[in-house]
Amino acid sequence: MKHVVYLSRAVRPLTDQDLQHLLDQSRHDNARNGITGVLFYSHGNIAQLFEGEDAIADTLFARIAQDGRHSHVRKLIDKPITTRSFSDWSMAFHPLATEGFEALQGFLLPHHIPPAPSSLPIADALLVELVRLAVFGPDPAQPYQHTLPSAP
Amino acid sequence: MLRQLQAGVATLVGPDLRYGFINEQMRELVGPAEPGQLVNEAPGRLPPVLLEMLPRIHATGTAHTAKACPCGPEHCYDLSVQPYHDEQGRVAGLLLMAVDVREQEQARQRAHELALTTRHLDARLRVLTETAPLMTFTTDAAGQVTYVSPQWYRFTGQPPTADLTAIWPLLVHPDDRLRVLFEAEAARRTGTGWSFEYRLRRYDGVYRWLLSRALPEVHPPDAPVFWHGALTEVHLERELSEARRRGEAELRFLADSIPELVWTASAEGLVEYYNQFTIDYTGLTKEELGPTGWVGLLYQHEQAAAARRWVQSVASGEDFEGEYRLRRHDGVYRWHTIRARQLSDGSGPRWFGTCSDVEEQYRLRQVLQTQYDELSRAHHNLDTFVYAASHDLRQPTNNLRGLFEELRRSVTFADPEQTQMLEMVDTALTELDSTLIDLATTVRTQRQQQEPVEVLDMTLMLEEILLGLRPEIMQRGARIDVQVGEAPGLRYSRANLRSVVHNLVSNSLKFSHPSRPPHIVLRSYLTPEGEPVLEVRDNGLGMHLDDPAHPTFQLFARQHTHVDGTGVGLYLVQRIVSSQGGHLAVTSVIGEGTTFTIHWTTTDSPA
Ligand SMILES: Cc1cc2nc3c(=O)[nH]c(=O)nc-3n(C[C@H](O)[C@H](O)[C@H](O)COP(=O)(O)O)c2cc1C
Repeated sequence: MKHVVYLSRAVRPLTDQDLQHLLDQSRHDNARNGITGVLFYSHGNIAQLFEGEDAIADTLFARIAQDGRHSHVRKLIDKPITTRSFSDWSMAFHPLATEGFEALQGFLLPHHIPPAPSSLPIADALLVELVRLAVFGPDPAQPYQHTLPSAP
Repeated sequence: MLRQLQAGVATLVGPDLRYGFINEQMRELVGPAEPGQLVNEAPGRLPPVLLEMLPRIHATGTAHTAKACPCGPEHCYDLSVQPYHDEQGRVAGLLLMAVDVREQEQARQRAHELALTTRHLDARLRVLTETAPLMTFTTDAAGQVTYVSPQWYRFTGQPPTADLTAIWPLLVHPDDRLRVLFEAEAARRTGTGWSFEYRLRRYDGVYRWLLSRALPEVHPPDAPVFWHGALTEVHLERELSEARRRGEAELRFLADSIPELVWTASAEGLVEYYNQFTIDYTGLTKEELGPTGWVGLLYQHEQAAAARRWVQSVASGEDFEGEYRLRRHDGVYRWHTIRARQLSDGSGPRWFGTCSDVEEQYRLRQVLQTQYDELSRAHHNLDTFVYAASHDLRQPTNNLRGLFEELRRSVTFADPEQTQMLEMVDTALTELDSTLIDLATTVRTQRQQQEPVEVLDMTLMLEEILLGLRPEIMQRGARIDVQVGEAPGLRYSRANLRSVVHNLVSNSLKFSHPSRPPHIVLRSYLTPEGEPVLEVRDNGLGMHLDDPAHPTFQLFARQHTHVDGTGVGLYLVQRIVSSQGGHLAVTSVIGEGTTFTIHWTTTDSPA
């Protein structure tokens, strides 16, 4: 097994429908492929950690990297793990209209993201924390106004 | 038969032109006109020009046709009017035929508009290509240059008659020429576009960097025949990024040659660069270290706190600083100061960090701390011992004196020498007692640093102290001047002030010069910085101040062995003054006198 973390920029801001579609599609596919993890989205900033069997994770990353909905995909880490740290796959973002989302399977409000699981080495937990900061800004309860500088 | 026609047909009968037959299509034009009605009374959408002409056509008998005649706002007809004759050959009426040409007309109109638009576009394209600050060009599949915009001629200074295909490669910088020819040729062969940079010679002979981009013009399924492209000057950008690359490379070189761990991180706090020393120290590759791997090198139970601090720094932009143990490749942890600061260069904010090995300092500090602890413990024990000893010794001394008094009273000595010896024993006992008292006082002041501080009236205080020394002053015939006008008040502890002045004055009295009566001046004043000072100046024996390490103040160091004294006094003074944050200065000339200057409080470091 391995886990992969990347940062990227949406080509254009994703609407509530876009996000819900991505959530439905990915949750369905990930459950089938044994992929777990979490995705952060805010104001075009995207970060994702996913874990799964090596071959499956590799093809998934290749597929995601090709996806036309985002660009500047920057893989930050790709390394073997012995145990999973996430029980399923979920997505955290600020919908414009919160109603309806809260009941949705696999949806999280950014300030409800649970702390990094203790099975994650601190270096990896720090990485998740930093990409979360990069996506949502210092106060995840507030929608983030700052945008990341584009990838070097 | 007329009903089958795809045209509208009507007859206008008689010289007054009344409707006769009207077929279905004609109804679209003339509307609900009835046979027998005058055409002028129900013209429908027949154009007025035609209505005017009808009587004339009837009269002259000549046919008339009008092409694409607008009838009403939306319709358009080819109209033809033909007279028909009766058996006598006279004009009996007119046959009106109308063919709907609206669609043809619209198509024609569209074609016309298209032509106009094309002309506009063409003109615009020309203006744009010839005014934009870039050169445009067209080449064909064989590499023949078929067009360049006027800017190309202006840039290169070539005449309009130049053979473009032949001259162009000669204007490319020799170092770039083969590459350019090869890449353009390859793109033409595979039917793709290109984008590359090269140097082209300007009219003044200077080579400038240009970006060349071209795309094939494709009309599937045919292979492309033309490539259209543009050349943009990118000289400054190129030089800038060259400079930046050079700067970056120099920085890397420096960072790689420093025996310190150096790293840089993106604005998001993700490490992007570790210097060579980091690789050597940790024994890990850049990939193994990754964007956050450094935290894993810290002592296990310090990792979480360090990670939190880093996130906090990244979120706020505050500097990061801390001391951490960092694992070396051989598993040994060494103390490091880790520092990082966010700086902005042309490409946005970045973090620059260093980890400096402070293991030696850390060890040294620990050794010093241990030694300090030991010393202060020993010191404390010594004080306690001295205090206890002096306290314990006073009792037997007192007993001894009591016994001695008793002895003197009950025994009579005949020998006058013996009387003198008795006196000597008495003096020795008194001295022993005062030494013991001094010792006890010294160690007590050690613990009395928290004496209450109040504003003291110097006149009263000095008077009181001198009163206590009255017997010695009288005995030696000393003259004492007190000058406190410049600083009459002092914030200090009463007991401490008394000890200090008492000791210094009795010292002066004790070490007075045998050939003159003592003269002691006590002067209280403020330094230019406003700090209170007391000066005690005498005209006594003076003392040696050679040893830079203040030998004057060493415990029991006696300057004048022929003079009575315990030697504790000056040491005590020194300790009191420095424990209250002040310092003591002394100047002396052997045989002339000594001046002690007590700086009660000092803001700058003691002299
Ligand atoms: C930001 C982002 C994250 C994605 N995450 C996942 C994911 O976790 N799992 C997944 O199956 N597809 C994910 N996708 C969708 C894939 O890129 C891809 O669209 C999907 O797997 C369908 O691929 P296909 O059309 O090639 O079958 C993601 C797409 C984007 C833009």
